[in-house]
Amino acid sequence: MRTGLIGLIATALSAVALLAPTTADAQNTLEKILASKKIRVAIDVANPPFGVLDKAGQPDGSDVAVARLLAKDLGAELEFVQVPSTGRIPALLAGRADVTIASISVTTERAKAVMYCHPNGALSITIFGPQGVKISSPADLAGKRVGITRATLEEATVPKMAPEGTKIVWFDDLASTVQALLSGQVDAAAMTAFAEKTVSDANPGKHLENKLLVTTAFYGPIVRQNDFELRQWINTWIFVNKNNGNLAAIYKKYTGVELPVLPTF
Amino acid sequence: MHYAFHFNVVWEHWRELVEGAWLTIRLSAMAMGIGLLAATACAYAKTTGPAAVRWAIAAYIEAIRNTPFLVQVFIIYFSLPATGLSLDANQAALVAMVVNFAAYGAEILRSGLESIGRGQIDAARALGLTRYQVFRHVMLFPAIKVAYPALASQFILLMLGSSVVSAISAVELTAVANSLQSTTFRPFEFYFASMALYLGMALGFRALFTGVYWVTFVRPRLTRPAV
Repeated sequence: MRTGLIGLIATALSAVALLAPTTADAQNTLEKILASKKIRVAIDVANPPFGVLDKAGQPDGSDVAVARLLAKDLGAELEFVQVPSTGRIPALLAGRADVTIASISVTTERAKAVMYCHPNGALSITIFGPQGVKISSPADLAGKRVGITRATLEEATVPKMAPEGTKIVWFDDLASTVQALLSGQVDAAAMTAFAEKTVSDANPGKHLENKLLVTTAFYGPIVRQNDFELRQWINTWIFVNKNNGNLAAIYKKYTGVELPVLPTF
Repeated sequence: MHYAFHFNVVWEHWRELVEGAWLTIRLSAMAMGIGLLAATACAYAKTTGPAAVRWAIAAYIEAIRNTPFLVQVFIIYFSLPATGLSLDANQAALVAMVVNFAAYGAEILRSGLESIGRGQIDAARALGLTRYQVFRHVMLFPAIKVAYPALASQFILLMLGSSVVSAISAVELTAVANSLQSTTFRPFEFYFASMALYLGMALGFRALFTGVYWVTFVRPRLTRPAV
């Protein structure tokens, strides 16, 4: 038993050691990508229309299209790292991906953990629900069960606008939040306006309607802190593809609306 | 690649973690209590009931033991409302855990029941005990004794498996850790913290079960006057 416990602790410690820096990084992430001709991009394929799986089970969506074009211009083979919404930042921090391109809205909180590149798209978060549920102002949320998905912009914004007495219900992925709304386990749900449209169109019998606009935000690729070289290359790529219309074409193709004027910072 | 650990963020949120762990403990303990009663009823009906009942229980046990727990949880939470039965996340989690534990428990108890010598049962019947009395007084206690270690292990598995009920928004330990990591961006700290809490709970329950075993099965023998 004693050796068993020591063995367990030793295993746990070596697991921790794996996470710790092993050697001083001689190459920065951009150099590594260029040398290995391979880039690992974390994507969330359960977040239409940004990331989905097509009928053949292949990743598709605006984030995926952006990642494919970016890898092509980088001259690197693209390796997708599929993550749930809660894994978009951890996958980066754990070194499983070099960059996350998963419509991750710019917030100052997230910027404490990772570095943002320039925005490559915009989205709005809305609250929607069945016609029978009366919500016309944030105050009406009191007493209602509102479903949101963890690690999303709605998690960062809805609890702040919701009045006392709102029952926020957290799910791990968008699919579960949608299921909860469709099965009546929540009275309303918050997600991007694009996801709302997909869900409403797919379920005409549920008579879902838009209730409230929560916020609008820009989203962009994220890289690890200190990966300045990679960030600078991606910013350059965004600048070029903003001007040549590629980003606007991708956005229009998947969302059906025109790409707003993208700011830089 | 470098990741600096900041465990002080865990201490700032210890209250939430403990609340999550407490829900995990409550759900697991209630599921075990109710599930054990249901498992005993199933084991009893499966050993003594009419053929139709035996078949129905066998079908239930096989259906639960050969499908993922997460799918069972989803069916109870997302599909039952269509039949008019709407359970909130914690209720749905508890029901799913009871249904799951009862199926495994029934099968474990059955193995205990089968270990009891045919001669003992025949002797009890010959003394005029009813089928129920034989089950209650001759079979159940030794069966639980034989099955006890397996039941205890199954309970630990149930408690650890309860981490998936965060998927239906029950705010147990894993859900709390997920929320905290997604708002503080310190995933490793909170996953290690929840791992430590699960380990502590599992070891605590093992110690408790060992104590209960000793009090129930070992001590009565020691204190019984020698014949």
